[in-house]
Amino acid sequence: MKTVRKTTVLKGAVTGQWKSVTLASALGAAHQTGEAAVPLLIGVVIDEAVRTGAGGRLVFWIGVLAAVFVALSLSFRFSLRCGEKASHQAAHEVRTELAARVLSAHGGAAHGRLSGELANIATSDAQRVGQVNLGLPIAFAAVVGVLVGAVALLRVSVVLGLLVLVAAPVLLGLAHFLGKPLERRSDAEQDRAALASGVAADLVAGLRALKGIGAEATAAQRYRVTSRSSMEAAIRAARSRAWLDGSMLAMTGVFLAIVALVGGHLAASGSISVGELVAAVGLAQFLLWPLSIFSWVNGLFAQGRASAARVAEVLAAPPVVPPGSSPLPASAPGRVELTDVVSGSLRGVSLTASPGELLGVVARDPADAVSLLAVLAREVDPTAGSVTLDGLPLSSVESSALRSAVLVAAHDADLFEGSVRDNVAAGGSQVDEAMDAARVDDVARALPDGLDTVISARGRSLSGGQRQRVALARALAAAPPVLVVHDPTTAVDAVTEVSLATGIKRMRSGLTTIVVATSPALLAAADRVVFLASGAVVSSGAHADLVADEDYRLVVLS
Amino acid sequence: MRELLATASGTRTWAAVGELVRPRRGLAWGALLVLLAGTAVGLITAPMLGRIVDLVGAGSSALAWPVVVLVLVAVAQGVSTAFGTSLVARLGEGMLADLREKFVERALHLPLERVEKAGAGDLTSRVTRDVQVIADAVRNALPVMARAALTIGLTVVGIAVLDWRFLIPVLLALPIHVHTVRWYGGRAVRLYASQRVAVGVQQQQLLDSIGGAATVRTFGLASSHVARVRTRSQEAVDLALRGIRLLTRFYGRLNVAEFIGLAGVLVTGYLLVGAGSASVGTATAAALYFHSLFNPINAALALADDAQAATASLSRLVGVTDGPMPSVEGRVRPVDTTIKLAGVGYSYVDGHPVLRDIDLELGAGERVALVGASGAGKTTLAKLIAGVHEPTSGSITLGGVELGLAARSVALITQEVHVFAGPLVDDLRLARPDASDEDITAALARVGALGWASALPSGLDTVVGEGGHRLTVAQAQQLALARLVLADPPVAILDEATADAGSAGARELEEAAARALDGRTGLLVAHRLTQAATADRVVVLEAGRVVESGTHEQLLAAGGRYATLWAAWSGTRS
Ligand SMILES: Nc1ncnc2c1ncn2[C@@H]1O[C@H](COP(=O)(O)OP(=O)(O)OP(=O)(O)O)[C@@H](O)[C@H]1O
Ligand SMILES: [Mg+2]
Repeated sequence: MKTVRKTTVLKGAVTGQWKSVTLASALGAAHQTGEAAVPLLIGVVIDEAVRTGAGGRLVFWIGVLAAVFVALSLSFRFSLRCGEKASHQAAHEVRTELAARVLSAHGGAAHGRLSGELANIATSDAQRVGQVNLGLPIAFAAVVGVLVGAVALLRVSVVLGLLVLVAAPVLLGLAHFLGKPLERRSDAEQDRAALASGVAADLVAGLRALKGIGAEATAAQRYRVTSRSSMEAAIRAARSRAWLDGSMLAMTGVFLAIVALVGGHLAASGSISVGELVAAVGLAQFLLWPLSIFSWVNGLFAQGRASAARVAEVLAAPPVVPPGSSPLPASAPGRVELTDVVSGSLRGVSLTASPGELLGVVARDPADAVSLLAVLAREVDPTAGSVTLDGLPLSSVESSALRSAVLVAAHDADLFEGSVRDNVAAGGSQVDEAMDAARVDDVARALPDGLDTVISARGRSLSGGQRQRVALARALAAAPPVLVVHDPTTAVDAVTEVSLATGIKRMRSGLTTIVVATSPALLAAADRVVFLASGAVVSSGAHADLVADEDYRLVVLS
Repeated sequence: MRELLATASGTRTWAAVGELVRPRRGLAWGALLVLLAGTAVGLITAPMLGRIVDLVGAGSSALAWPVVVLVLVAVAQGVSTAFGTSLVARLGEGMLADLREKFVERALHLPLERVEKAGAGDLTSRVTRDVQVIADAVRNALPVMARAALTIGLTVVGIAVLDWRFLIPVLLALPIHVHTVRWYGGRAVRLYASQRVAVGVQQQQLLDSIGGAATVRTFGLASSHVARVRTRSQEAVDLALRGIRLLTRFYGRLNVAEFIGLAGVLVTGYLLVGAGSASVGTATAAALYFHSLFNPINAALALADDAQAATASLSRLVGVTDGPMPSVEGRVRPVDTTIKLAGVGYSYVDGHPVLRDIDLELGAGERVALVGASGAGKTTLAKLIAGVHEPTSGSITLGGVELGLAARSVALITQEVHVFAGPLVDDLRLARPDASDEDITAALARVGALGWASALPSGLDTVVGEGGHRLTVAQAQQLALARLVLADPPVAILDEATADAGSAGARELEEAAARALDGRTGLLVAHRLTQAATADRVVVLEAGRVVESGTHEQLLAAGGRYATLWAAWSGTRS
């Protein structure tokens, strides 16, 4: 697994789009040069035409102005397009890479993160990483703008040029320095202001629960309180920022006055022309823009770095378990053996599923079932003991080979948007047999378009039991050498349950199957049942024999 | 298939903004006047520079006082901007708070059916994303736009005051501006709308694939899901870039206006100075005025994007706040707590009824178990009685009152439980705001949750829910039952609320549920038939119809559907 750092992410975003970034930078520089030329041209027109009354010069310089406008307009247009393209396209690449990492067979990337949070990283953070590609050309163009403006000013007057070039950055630096505490306070308040959004989202997420107890008005009242305090915080934040902006504006004005004073004296003494004075004032005004761009770009880059760090954290997430490397023989008999396994709540569990066996596992404590499934799915490696498939430790087997050999169908497996048939076919090729065994025929009969009915995301448009059966059919359709299913019948009625038990048995005959459940219908169909309690195997045997045990009966039959 | 929540029309949206401003008229005028004063003061800059040019042209170097004026102007402008912007923030934030509070209130009162039809994501994205977009606009775009608009307006006035003839080139440029803004507006709105949809689809796909990551991995579906994400994302990117192309064409047109205006001002200056009716300083001031318009215009237009997006978001909020608020008056107090269904039918998809002709009565205080094959319509029926969906045909009454008009509600608890973020007691007090500490502990004790709840790190004050202490499914379910006890609704429905807790846990929860239901009319949807056996009455649903109803013993004796179900249930358990 290669290490991914935030610099890797940022570099990848830029180099992946280097053509667009370069083009955007070049065009942006041309645009800035054009913008710098406009005040110069105003000065020239005043000097050569307005003051002298020379009509020919007027026409000529207006023509030049037109040419400059065409150039700056076009260069701006394509610079922005290239920059935005680089930005969005880079974000797209990051998004796709994140999705690929989260969904990759190694797992681990989603660990400890809610899916909303991950989706947010894939949208907002990816976008902020991409925006670095927008900031780079703008920063470059601003540098060129400053240089062009500086050269032009120095050519007008060295004194004025130096004045502007020294004073402008000092001014901005000062504003930045003075603004820091204001900005920090503003940011802190802004965080508080964001609280209202979180509370609102939580209330809406719990809408059903609120309605159920008629608590809409209470909740709205509670939200109002949060909203008001968020408002107060936001106003305080805005006030800090407003005074920051105001002082910046005042300083800029004072700066212009100084330029006018010095320039005026120079013009009065005849060292520069009136038109040059006009140009100098115009340039001083112009220069403030590219200079202020730097702090904006700086902010953009800071955001980009923070987002890149979050992206990198997901991309670099270690796989939940170190991937193995050995291939599996073409036809695995499917013998699964746990020896003295210690993992999660399991404390030294040994059990074997022989090739072709239908093994039932009853866990008195639900945690034991969860731990068992985790080691079988190799989401964790046992802290002690071993899990083997046909004698090979699971940890040594190459992950995609392992996944197709041992399929662990979780209880809360998700369905995806698409037709019923597509959802089952996502599992594997034995679609018809699987749908037969999982009684999807019954499901189809109840749906408007049968098997072609499109079900919405998460299978929300199916009833609980319908959803469960489609998910079971998908697992059966994969027909893996070893299938592990967890509580596949909790949401169906007793008659259907019996029929599913038969279906599973029929379809899995000759293949190894482990059913982790407490349903007597399923356990009765099993060849053998292992009973777990407090993390250890308590007993094992046929379901019919085990029911004699008081503990077992309590778990299974009540 | 999705039927999104309402979106207000453009006119209605602006009218709503007007309604939000009205109670703050004083503040709005204050902000406007302060900003206006600041901008007006700022207008002195250009003539002062012109004055310097004239003085210099006349060979004088007595520049002190114009420069002093410039400095004073700068300070005054800074102060008034700071003050004015603060006022704008107070105005904007106040309006925003009003709007979001009204929105949340309306959203919480929306019929669940409406929310479900729109997809849960619609409401969530409005309450988070749209509110955020508007907040950003209020915080960043509004002050800049307000100042820019004033600057633009006043500069035009300033030019006119300087010499009205300079207005001619400005007026020449104006129609181009207006036309451009209109040209852009129409296109942008449509493009933004489709962009929003594309981004929504992308978000949905991400949530779907990432939320189902474990399943995707199990079945090796990664490549097809990554491909789906890639397609959706690329579609959104393409639309965003189309928006950028539109925006840059917009800027291009504005450049034309800028050029025409600036060249016109220069030519006018040339003519006027030539004719001796204006000084070079005046011509300079006019040119500088016009040039200084570029930045505010660009600043305002650079935010056109934000403003556009905010308007779209605003219309989505107003669309909901404009909806009718269910009136509390006119609600009738039910005479008792019986539920009566007469000829009730329901279809999710037109022409495909899942419930037909249901006549059913739940007596006051009676506990009825609803059983039947998977897909028979039990959950649907439970939702109808809880008022989540309205029946397509027939009627449901609570104590003789039409369900929608009844002053009491029917509680529904399903497997999907929500733990509200915040202290545990606050979660419970949602059900009864004035509950005493004793009420709270009593409710927890009644559902057998007091033990673990008091053992939490900070007891009942422990922060639970998202970002807080994680509760197990069974604990969350007990919390829901405790809320039920506190809210004390006359009728409660439990839809397999206990099924997912594992069988040992299920038994415990079943007992808690039974205690929570004590004294209420209760409907229990259950596949675990032990719950049916202890109910007062069992109702069997089959393919959307009630096929049997009676006590456990009666139905067993009748040897029908229930007897078959019971045989299958008990057959595997003996
Ligand atoms: N949101 C929905 N959109 C469209 N059809 C739906 C929706 N919800 C349920 N259905 C359909 O309505 C029928 C009845 O579903 P319902 O959930 O009421 O069944 P149920 O009796 O609760 O079943 P189960 O025991 O499996 O929970 C099913 O055919 C189902 O596919
Ligand atoms: Mg159901």
